[in-house]
Amino acid sequence: MNIVVLVLLVLVVLALLAVMSRNRLVRLNISVDEAFAQIEVQLKRRSDLIPNLVETVKGYTNHEASTLEAVVAARAKATAATTVADVAAADGSVTQALRGLLAVTENYPDLKASANFLALQEELSTTENKVSFARQFYNDNVRSLNQAIKTFPSSLFANSAKVSARPFYEVEDPQDRKAPTVKF
Amino acid sequence: MATAARNFDFRKLQAGNRRKSGELLFGMGIIVGAVVWALMTYFGKGGVAIVPVAIGIALLSVWGSYWASDKIVLTMTGAKLLNENENRQLYDLVSEVCVAAGLPLPKIAIVEDDAPNAFATGRDPEHAVIAFTTGILRLMDREELQGVAAHEMSHVANRDTLVSAIAATTAGALAILTDFLMRMMIFGGGERRDDRDNQNPIALIASIVVLILAPIAAMLLRLAISRKREALADVTAVQFTRNPAGLRRALEALQADTTVVQQRSTSVAHIWIESPLDNSATSKLFSTHPPLSERIATLKAMEGLS
Repeated sequence: MNIVVLVLLVLVVLALLAVMSRNRLVRLNISVDEAFAQIEVQLKRRSDLIPNLVETVKGYTNHEASTLEAVVAARAKATAATTVADVAAADGSVTQALRGLLAVTENYPDLKASANFLALQEELSTTENKVSFARQFYNDNVRSLNQAIKTFPSSLFANSAKVSARPFYEVEDPQDRKAPTVKF
Repeated sequence: MATAARNFDFRKLQAGNRRKSGELLFGMGIIVGAVVWALMTYFGKGGVAIVPVAIGIALLSVWGSYWASDKIVLTMTGAKLLNENENRQLYDLVSEVCVAAGLPLPKIAIVEDDAPNAFATGRDPEHAVIAFTTGILRLMDREELQGVAAHEMSHVANRDTLVSAIAATTAGALAILTDFLMRMMIFGGGERRDDRDNQNPIALIASIVVLILAPIAAMLLRLAISRKREALADVTAVQFTRNPAGLRRALEALQADTTVVQQRSTSVAHIWIESPLDNSATSKLFSTHPPLSERIATLKAMEGLS
């Protein structure tokens, strides 16, 4: 009699553990989706800033057409990307093009002193920080998910929960290895 | 991957601080157990009835201040909520940290005070408030303020208002309980119980010692929990910003600064980033925060300096 109760109790505990670790997988999978959506939100914000930035820079410079075109072209390509790898690649080229543009602005003191540009600068630097934090948050979530998929006991439920390992968001940019705080 | 190159041991440090604060909370549970034992030894089983009463009173007094912590602290410190356009940079850097933490944007508030300090409170991330003094905004640059904001948002992420409410409830219940029992011992000598007469005297003396020491031990544990949560918030801040230098420089700036927050109310001392009470005279055992030098050393180790 007692043994039956004991076995039942153990079974109930095991079933609870199973449900919990399966739910954890599903939750982690959702947070990866949400984290990726957050990256896209921040990229969209940055993308929306570009036309204004390009117009402002254009008004003060004469010989920087190619730098400006690079930014516009990179932005156009970024809007078409959907997969993680594509979005990351497009993100990387926009980041690089913007950095090139901001390096060029150093040569135009009038531009740097203009009120419009100063406001844009804070806007750009915070957006750049947010983009980089959103990437980091996404990668941390992917890390937890992939770890849970590989480790026992949650590894048992990866198939039934239709959860699989997700790709990291990798931006090809040597400067990205530095601290995410961006100063212009 | 960017983070792989800067893989600090913050995960290990976080786990360590979480475990230690969990152990300390467990320690408070043990004290409660010891007091209940002392009570049963001295007054017999009938006395146990007052345990839920004491816990109930403590819960009632702490619950309100936990539930409405955002509103209460704003009133007590006189903090004013910040409008998005008043201080664009502060608003921006707090929202950056929120992106890094995956948390909703808290209410941001400013306290008119020349002493540099900051705090966060709120029962959950949806009701969080993060406040900065005008002094800290003057003293620190963007990177340092980002470190401070990350430390404060870590308190929100780690649910430290809840942790300190639990610690306060337990310590409060123990204070009420032992106070009540000591009075019963002193004034209630006539009500001797039959089941007490055959107790051995050593157990009786031990129970008196437990009742005397329990509230002090609970208070020390509560402070130790507060210190561990502060250390945890420093480490979690590094998880958010991956930039230990920002917070480290901020703490160094606080160390160099000598102005003390005017509001020296002890009831809200634990929520500031730097203890507002002048604790130069008191020992580490009695303070709500680990010493700044210790916190700076931990951050330096994470930077790979030192």
